Amino acid sequence: MKKENIKKGLMLFAFFFKIGCFTFGGGWSILAQMEQEFVNKKQLITKDELLDLVAVGKSVPGIMITNISMLFGYQVGGWFGGVCAVLGIACPAVLILSVVAYGYDYLKSNYWCHAALEGIQAAVVPIIGSAALSLGKEIFRTRKGQVICGIAFCLCVFTDISNLVLVLTGAAVALLIPSAAEQVK
Amino acid sequence: MVYFDLFFSFVKIGFTSFGGMSMIPLILEEMQVHGWMTAEDLTNLVALAEMTPGPLGINCATFAGTQTAGVPGGIAAVAGVLMPAFTLTLLVSVFFTKFRKSEIMVRIMGGVKPICIAMILAVILTLSMENYFTDGRPDVFAVGIGVIMLWLIWKRKWSVPKVIGSSAVLGILMYGVILKLY
Repeated sequence: MKKENIKKGLMLFAFFFKIGCFTFGGGWSILAQMEQEFVNKKQLITKDELLDLVAVGKSVPGIMITNISMLFGYQVGGWFGGVCAVLGIACPAVLILSVVAYGYDYLKSNYWCHAALEGIQAAVVPIIGSAALSLGKEIFRTRKGQVICGIAFCLCVFTDISNLVLVLTGAAVALLIPSAAEQVK
Repeated sequence: MVYFDLFFSFVKIGFTSFGGMSMIPLILEEMQVHGWMTAEDLTNLVALAEMTPGPLGINCATFAGTQTAGVPGGIAAVAGVLMPAFTLTLLVSVFFTKFRKSEIMVRIMGGVKPICIAMILAVILTLSMENYFTDGRPDVFAVGIGVIMLWLIWKRKWSVPKVIGSSAVLGILMYGVILKLY
């Protein structure tokens, strides 16, 4: 394998390891980190492309984050890049949890840990929110984007429709009604 | 051997779940079928998985695996749950990269992306209800920390690690120190 790809792979592993250490509150906060690192700082990918990856990653079976990691890693550094990214995101969790599992009872009842976690949980919404608004800026610009988003949001909140069904419906609608899915540029 | 069982169980779980919480019922089923964990153990597991950094699925796999068969068990479980990413998603990546610019793909993504944003917003709503309200009343500390972090992210462009760190500190201050004084 070319040296260049190995380097890319290691870079991806390192970055996803770091991301993995700070992913609290479920998978979506990874978006905020990916945006900060890869869109803003390293400029490896555009916001629109990132949103593409999220959409695909969410629609494929499996853990959304590992899917997004693979998709992104592949785009940047081929299959090796994809593998490195996935391993990167998984490692911190495995390491930390292996240790924590033994001290779980202590942690669960530790007053200060609990306090710190309450604080972190309060920050999760702004983190995810800022990423969502940033990535969604393009979507919100068109009437079509607003409408689709609005309808989907209501369906998500008020019904039990599974995410998969929602995404498939969206894809079908977009295919069958061309005007309903104009690309925003 | 239990490691293979764990591995295959989590491969199954990985391929049949669509993210986040949808995994939990599947994990419960596998744990009960194999006699590895009880429903109560699982509740603890989920709580722990939410407390620690990392994707929920990975955390659950690690914890379930280590509880069942120590660290090698944890590794076997995680390896299993990562299989879909290494196989199916890899295939999808190849396919997607090739056809990304095709008109059909562009159209599909045009419909799917707003839905994706909508789903994220829905999650934000749920999390807000959970984190900012206790028993129907707003949690002043949480709202306060939330607002401060929002400002720091928005206006000061703080990175996520910094935000996590400082919110942990504020949490200790507010929930730890101030609450104790009252």
